[in-house]
Amino acid sequence: MRFFDCNAFFGLPAVRPLAPVATVEEFLAEMDRAGIEKALVWHIAQHDASARVGNALLADAIQPHPRLIGCWSVLPSQTHELPPIEDLFRQMQAARVVALRIFPSSHRFLANAVVMGDILDAMVVRRVPLLISVRRGMDWTGIYALLSDFPDLVCVICDHGCWGMDRLFRPLLERYPHVYVDTAQYLLDGGIESLVADYGAQRLLFGSGFPESYFGGMMMALRHAQIPEDAKAAIASGNLERILQEEEL
Amino acid sequence: MIGDSELAREFWEYGKSTTCPIYDMHGHMGDWPAIYFPRGDTADMIRTMDECGVRMLVFSHHLALFAPTLGNGPAIEAVRRYPDRLRAYCAINPNYPERIEADLASFEAHTDVFVGFKFLADYHRFSIADARYQPAWEYANERELLLLSHTWGNSALDGPAVLRQMAERYPRVKLLLGHSCHGEWDQAVALAHDFPNIYLELTALFDDRGILEKFVDEVGSDRMLFGTDLPWFDPHQAVGALLSAHITDEDRHNICHRNAERLLAPLMVGLAGG
Repeated sequence: MRFFDCNAFFGLPAVRPLAPVATVEEFLAEMDRAGIEKALVWHIAQHDASARVGNALLADAIQPHPRLIGCWSVLPSQTHELPPIEDLFRQMQAARVVALRIFPSSHRFLANAVVMGDILDAMVVRRVPLLISVRRGMDWTGIYALLSDFPDLVCVICDHGCWGMDRLFRPLLERYPHVYVDTAQYLLDGGIESLVADYGAQRLLFGSGFPESYFGGMMMALRHAQIPEDAKAAIASGNLERILQEEEL
Repeated sequence: MIGDSELAREFWEYGKSTTCPIYDMHGHMGDWPAIYFPRGDTADMIRTMDECGVRMLVFSHHLALFAPTLGNGPAIEAVRRYPDRLRAYCAINPNYPERIEADLASFEAHTDVFVGFKFLADYHRFSIADARYQPAWEYANERELLLLSHTWGNSALDGPAVLRQMAERYPRVKLLLGHSCHGEWDQAVALAHDFPNIYLELTALFDDRGILEKFVDEVGSDRMLFGTDLPWFDPHQAVGALLSAHITDEDRHNICHRNAERLLAPLMVGLAGG
């Protein structure tokens, strides 16, 4: 199986975790040990310190490593902290950055049409994936409001929580065809099998949650899930590759 | 592949190991209102255990914890149905102290089923030091039974301070810290250092990268127990984390089966070695 991780970061958080991964070199060494082929990564400073500074740190770090593809943070345009969205898209292309993240509750804004309309409309047109994290920066009420305003957004719900969140994310999968969930924290026994049975294998993306989670946890769960091999391949890498191919950055 | 050891190669290839059976020391069973369980029934749980190489699950039934009307009856039924794969903790609910005497009598009558007690103080809203729990503590202490307590960091009901108090008072109880005082890791380490009868149970820790290495380094793998809250968490996820952690295969053997075999041996007739 080829693994393309959609949800991993590196860099030192403001509050020291149990096992920080400070540099991109350390990150790559752990990827190699685990057998992860590629990763869509971000830098923790994008959340903890500054979207602008974190984005720059990420771009510099991944530049020599084509296995790593970047995911920047974006902020509302009203405060002019980042370039206008079309300029940002051009900078993303130059930096091998293909997706964006938002952390509304941490960065004090609302993810709705009033605040983010210009940015999210442009992302919908170009099919630029938006990654959001329930663990960090966005709650379910905010996610439901966001998708109500932008039903065609390509949106990956990451870190949705280990305490059984199917009743919260399954309605979104049913209502919005471009919504995906990642595997990080999807620890539910039989969860992968049940989700694939009900919604197909196309709506689930392999995400490790590294470095807060071990790479091997969800790799092992997916490797031995009771689903067809082509479904495993889609979740491990194929779905994310397809989403990025459909993007028109 | 997810790790660089012989066990990693075997588990990755086959999903289980011929030399490293798993004893899951923290399970549940049946419905629970806040979570959808695709595999919550007894037969489905046995299927998961087969797929993951889990030889034995020691569990407390959700209904015993949350439906006092039914008590421990469903757990007894499940163990009697799968006596080679299941043992139960007798759940104690301190909200109904008038029932605890009957629970102890049930334990006495079902020593083929129960290997200890389960306390869930954070949910039942009584401290584990409350007098209502005392008959179960004393019963377990006299017989050197297992007592799996849900423990959580910063909890006044089952956190480090009250655990220390009870470990001092009942030194013969084999006290299993469910979730290892989640979040107050240094306090869990201190408790394991100070009390030889305390074990660190790992349910919900397999998703916290770095904690396995910390406990192995600071306490030792001979005091750590595999657990998943099954049917909450997929044992393969836990195994994958264990194989990714920077610890040795000897540590993994201790965590997966050796420690549990040692604890269960006096309580189970005919327990197979690993």
